[in-house]
Amino acid sequence: MARDSTLKCSAPQGMVHLARLLQFSDTTLPIGSFAFSNSLESALQTGIVNDPASLLQYVEFILRQSARMDGVALLHAHRAAIAGTYDAILEADCELLCRRVGEEQQLMLTRVGKKLAELVLKITPSSTLERWLADIRTGATPGCFPIGQAIALAHMGADEAETFVMHQYGVASMILSAALRLMRIDHLDTQRILFKAQERANDDYLAVCSLCLDDMATFAPVFDVLVAHHTTTHVRLFMN
Amino acid sequence: MTLHEKLAHIDKARELRSYHTEPAQMRAAAPGKVGELRLGFMLRNGRSVLHDLYRVTPLLVQRALYWDEAMPELPICSIISVGGGILQGDRYKIDISVGEGACAQVTSQGANRVHRMDANYASQYQAISLEDGAYLEYLPDFTIAYRGSRFINETDIVIADNATLLYGEMVLAGRKHHHAEERFGLDLLSMAVKVRRPDGRKLFAEKILIENGDPTIDFAAVMRGYDAFANIMCLTPPETATRIKARFATKFPVEDARALSGISRLPNAAGLMMRAVGIETRDVRKEVRHFWQIVREESCGRTLPEEFLWR
Repeated sequence: MARDSTLKCSAPQGMVHLARLLQFSDTTLPIGSFAFSNSLESALQTGIVNDPASLLQYVEFILRQSARMDGVALLHAHRAAIAGTYDAILEADCELLCRRVGEEQQLMLTRVGKKLAELVLKITPSSTLERWLADIRTGATPGCFPIGQAIALAHMGADEAETFVMHQYGVASMILSAALRLMRIDHLDTQRILFKAQERANDDYLAVCSLCLDDMATFAPVFDVLVAHHTTTHVRLFMN
Repeated sequence: MTLHEKLAHIDKARELRSYHTEPAQMRAAAPGKVGELRLGFMLRNGRSVLHDLYRVTPLLVQRALYWDEAMPELPICSIISVGGGILQGDRYKIDISVGEGACAQVTSQGANRVHRMDANYASQYQAISLEDGAYLEYLPDFTIAYRGSRFINETDIVIADNATLLYGEMVLAGRKHHHAEERFGLDLLSMAVKVRRPDGRKLFAEKILIENGDPTIDFAAVMRGYDAFANIMCLTPPETATRIKARFATKFPVEDARALSGISRLPNAAGLMMRAVGIETRDVRKEVRHFWQIVREESCGRTLPEEFLWR
């Protein structure tokens, strides 16, 4: 049936905004996060993860931990970027790195952060991100990924809840992408796990949105041993 | 009596917001419930000595003894809690300083029992400082967090870049053979540490937070059914850290093991962190002792004496 030519099409507000959020949530974003698995290789070798159910539990655990550490720094950096208080961005950056144990975890955190800043600056100018990247290059700030993500997304107009969800989505998809290459699981199961794991986004945000940087906390001794194990494991996505 | 500003600051911690009721017994932070300890070690005529000792009950240190046969120059102080454990409303403050080139060991007399609480909480603030070339082993015995206990501990460390500190906590999640709900039946266990250089530069910070009803406790990546854990940090120059790390093999067998352990590098070249979990305290203690021995050998060129039969 022919369309009524008298009807006027008007685009809902925020379509470009949504499209940009999708672009920066994409797992193919070339910042190198595909090379990290949050110690999934070690989790598989030691039997912590051995099937879809245990993978779901692992993803949910990492999301909970990520919200209470990186998520807190991310929200502080986002608020600082919106308020234009650059020193507060640097403070969140420093405090987050200070809490990262494990050389590979530290490497992942800062390498991907720097890559993101370089990528975004190729696409769109941002004076704050430019200043932050310059400070990374001089060693004045570590350049943690959640901080770069917060600056970039604040610059693109994403609010803090959207920024938080994108960060958490990135963490889950990173592990599940690694799982496809490391264990017997198909794309259908990983999508089912991703869908399920995202149910926690709201609760995780509410649990951490009022925390200060000193409240960043964790408790996962077995995971911490896994992190140590991962540096010497023989099955890995990539060799450093 | 005015509470020390650091203890007063801890009182405002977010995780304590539900626990500010006053005990029916002695009020929180009343005289007799605020323990204080100050230990200062220095090099005097080429020998490390305890030159400063200040104590307020219920914390007690009597004197430094030199009983380590493998390191006879090491002054050793044992912290005694005359209260028989930590009770609701207790407030402790511990200061330990080690001067240039001096060495020391501070330990505790026995397990640090955090008793059940029906009001308020117990808190502890520790300040540890190490000057150039200093060496300190501060390894208290296990903390046993009883069912319903609430304990918060904050530790500030200032360490020179060529000093070495071995410090950490070993924790047993309740009197595991006492009651079915004892294991991780605690209300709150909060342990935070911050490490800086003398110029104020931040090196490392960590906060371990366990709250009642944490749904992840028995996740395979959290406690995996184990009952005891340890976080032991070795703050040491990078070259020493590299030697220590090369000697400590991660222990994480696929089969069931009595304990798991591994070490990772701390940020900002601060040193190493050893994590361990185990079935019983002795299983975790064995992992800690292995790490401790390597740290001492690589830092001081001394080894550990044989373990006492009664420990």
